[in-house]
Amino acid sequence: MSAVSEYAQNIKDTVFTIFEGMAVTASHFMRKPYTVQYPDRMPVRVQDTLPFRYRGILEVDLEICTGCLACERACPIDCIVIVVDKDPQTRQMLLSQFDIDIAKCMYCGLCSEPCPTGSIHHTTEFEGADYSLESLIRRFVKDPVIAYKPKKGPETDPRIAPILNRGMSYLDQWAQPGGEKPAEEEPA
Amino acid sequence: MSTLHTEEMTLNMGPQHPSTHGVLRFVVRADGEVMREAIPDVGYLHRSIEKIAEKVGYHGFMPYTDRVDYVCAMFTNQGWGMACEKLAHIEVPRRGEYCRVIAAEFNRIASHLLSVGAMAMDIGAVTPFTHAIREREMINDLIEELCGARLTFNYMRIGGVAWDLPPGWREKALAYLDHFDPILEEYNALISWNKIYVERLANVGVITPADAINYNLVGPNLRACGIKWDIRKDIPYSAYPDFEFEVPIGDGHWGKLGDSMDRYVVRIREMAQSAIILRQALAKIPPGPVLAKVARNFKPPAGECQIRIESGRGDMGWYLVSDGTGYPWRVHVRTGSFAAMGIIQKLSAGLMIADLVTLIASLDVIAPEIDR
Amino acid sequence: METLIHNVIASGAFGHNASPTLVAAIVIFVMSAVVFLGVAFPFAGIVSWAERRVWARIQSRVGPNRVGPQGFLQWLADGVKNVCKEDIIPDEADAPLFKLAPYLVILAFILPWAVMPFSSSLILADMNVGILYMTSVTALTVVGVLMAGWASNDKWSLIGGIRSAAQIVSYEIPAGLSIFPVVMMTGTLSMQGIIRGQGWAPQHWFLFANPFTFVAANILYISALAEGNRTPFDLPEAESELVAGFATEYSGMRYLFFFMAEWGNLFIIGAIITTLFLGGWQFPHVSNNVVVMNILQLISFNVKVLFLVFFSMWIRATLPRVRIDQLMTVCWKYFVPIAFVNMIGTAVWVAIWPDGNAAMGYIMFAAGIALTVVFVQRVIYYLKRSRMEVYFNPTI
Repeated sequence: MSAVSEYAQNIKDTVFTIFEGMAVTASHFMRKPYTVQYPDRMPVRVQDTLPFRYRGILEVDLEICTGCLACERACPIDCIVIVVDKDPQTRQMLLSQFDIDIAKCMYCGLCSEPCPTGSIHHTTEFEGADYSLESLIRRFVKDPVIAYKPKKGPETDPRIAPILNRGMSYLDQWAQPGGEKPAEEEPA
Repeated sequence: MSTLHTEEMTLNMGPQHPSTHGVLRFVVRADGEVMREAIPDVGYLHRSIEKIAEKVGYHGFMPYTDRVDYVCAMFTNQGWGMACEKLAHIEVPRRGEYCRVIAAEFNRIASHLLSVGAMAMDIGAVTPFTHAIREREMINDLIEELCGARLTFNYMRIGGVAWDLPPGWREKALAYLDHFDPILEEYNALISWNKIYVERLANVGVITPADAINYNLVGPNLRACGIKWDIRKDIPYSAYPDFEFEVPIGDGHWGKLGDSMDRYVVRIREMAQSAIILRQALAKIPPGPVLAKVARNFKPPAGECQIRIESGRGDMGWYLVSDGTGYPWRVHVRTGSFAAMGIIQKLSAGLMIADLVTLIASLDVIAPEIDR
Repeated sequence: METLIHNVIASGAFGHNASPTLVAAIVIFVMSAVVFLGVAFPFAGIVSWAERRVWARIQSRVGPNRVGPQGFLQWLADGVKNVCKEDIIPDEADAPLFKLAPYLVILAFILPWAVMPFSSSLILADMNVGILYMTSVTALTVVGVLMAGWASNDKWSLIGGIRSAAQIVSYEIPAGLSIFPVVMMTGTLSMQGIIRGQGWAPQHWFLFANPFTFVAANILYISALAEGNRTPFDLPEAESELVAGFATEYSGMRYLFFFMAEWGNLFIIGAIITTLFLGGWQFPHVSNNVVVMNILQLISFNVKVLFLVFFSMWIRATLPRVRIDQLMTVCWKYFVPIAFVNMIGTAVWVAIWPDGNAAMGYIMFAAGIALTVVFVQRVIYYLKRSRMEVYFNPTI
């Protein structure tokens, strides 16, 4: 008799579980789809909805770059190339090349962490597809610029101050070791 | 009829296949639908990650650990961080440990969602996969707010984590957990207890406890055989001693002990337990720093260390040998999927081809973790 | 059909001494072309679009909605794309058989449309063995699928083809056995005869006539799904195991033919169930105008069939697939014995109540309503539990 009861139990289980499954899927007809209809049927650009910490394509604010090469050293995949020398006449640090190869970049964030002013930072831009590999090397220096010297007090130049504020607020997102300011660079 | 001449077929379930979880290859010797043997062939995803560590240094290796197992990136981050900290005797602050546990348990839920969803899709049901991915996307949104990335997180650093919880994140995480518990129940009603699904999974690929230990299986694969071994409870690390949770094990309720259904149900129950851990962690998280002070050019003392963590796939071991310079001498990762590949050849005799797909899916094999 | 031909000849459109057989042949040819090319093939295409939209809503997605209004022209775009593809025939494949196989499968899908009862006078050929003809020509798919599997010279395709042949041939038996109860109750095999044996109200449908026919309807529906290679029985094209089963080596339009046949078969399955169990085109007699009645009956038939097509898509989205040995077990150990019991039970029922039992019709109909109410309650339970907002907009 156990064979007959097992037979009947099988039929009953099948019918009941399929009934429940169909009820679950039927309830989904009444729910809003989770799809984001990118890029044309969106109320806001996606780039504006992403959080501030989003690690998109890298960007450099050359106005506040100090030429310390901390980002170049930190990059694990050697995608940043910076050339900075001391100009013999004016005795100032001159940035003549700052290239980031965003095809190599792995968007890890290790370069923006040690930057003292927040000049190299991740943006919320993620649409980087292009037709030529050459265009994926972003060259940020057109003509050689003088590297920035951070001042002891607040920045007074009205052109640089907002950029510096944005850079420092970006850096504030990162955790400070030991709860204090980041440690100074130790001699190599 | 006994003199009818039959031949064995040799089939190639090649590296490009819609169902194997990643790039795997099986050479299958089959007699019609029933297999005689399925010989796995691995190595298609080898990227020399362990060798790369010797070139990029300790801090620089952290993003590479994301790529060892991209579904469980938080666990690999944590493993590398813990290995370096053990070698250099660095202590992670309490809040940092809690942040690590929160991120890791969210990643465990996401990893198991992908595993059960992909398994359901391999069996033929297409909707549970999309539902699981939808839930995973919500977790990814949370983690994106936390660390800025959705898959390769690079969230942890040697000495703690890189970003603290943003303001308002705790409430969003708790709201997600409130949303998640009934969704898990609905998911179970849709597919887990479905009779057709149970019949496909029960008694398929039965692994005895002795075999599980001999073949080095870990994680849900091991616990489904009835062996209660979870690194979080047996060799506690990080902040796990502060939390109360259970370790689900298989009980052979639907078929034999250690079959595919047990492995599947252990993963479902682990998701529920992760939600319990998360609620406790989010409630009890202490204030304070999240990152210890570690030099930029990190030079641990010469020596070797080994740590084990419970990742989504099981006991993940990290072995690190340092020679006192700023670059490691040798790094090795031992992952659960590599061991699981070994047992497939033994279990495949007598299975049908459809069951081979079930077996691979139930062992939760992730190809990049096998080859690194 | 005969009266139509007489009217055409009498109106003198073909001259006064045209032979009736020639005119009959031309008229039938034109009508068949209209039905096959104008209804069957576009339906197969549109169903692919509808299936993707229905699936997508079940899966919390949107589905194709860009090509044309609400994505309605997606199937045309797919068709054009497939026609433009390179025609690849594997080197060692048996080329004549390889090319012939899709046509056989399409033939099995097209031929049943000749007896499709759209309304009381809209039927291409009112054969007096209509339902028998329908079930026998749908079995032509076996030949096509086996040919595709063998001629592809590919072991995976062969496995898919053999699985499909075993599946279709096995499930012919419960399907045929489940047609017998209805034939016993009406005494005729013709489609229009079976529909005229039912009434327009649900309690007069054969679905609710007695518990045996209710179970027979379910068995027939599931067996028809198995014959059409639909989930939960879509092993021959099990995507995650065999890539595309017997159709792996096919590309372009040849590949699409197999799928057009599968989608079109949904209508055939729906039509068989509607005719036998759901009262066909029956509609209450609201007007004496023949044209108006025919239009209403056409709408009634289509609504019932399209609901069953939607139901098939819904089932496909929900259930996993069974394994080959489980499929055989279900067929031979569960469906065949139960179908025999149905047949004997209906025979006893017809012997006791030759004119039907109206009371049982009402009781079964009430039971059906109760089942639907329980189902709606479970749906509301899941909606409330998941705390997701209720949102109903199919045109997103």
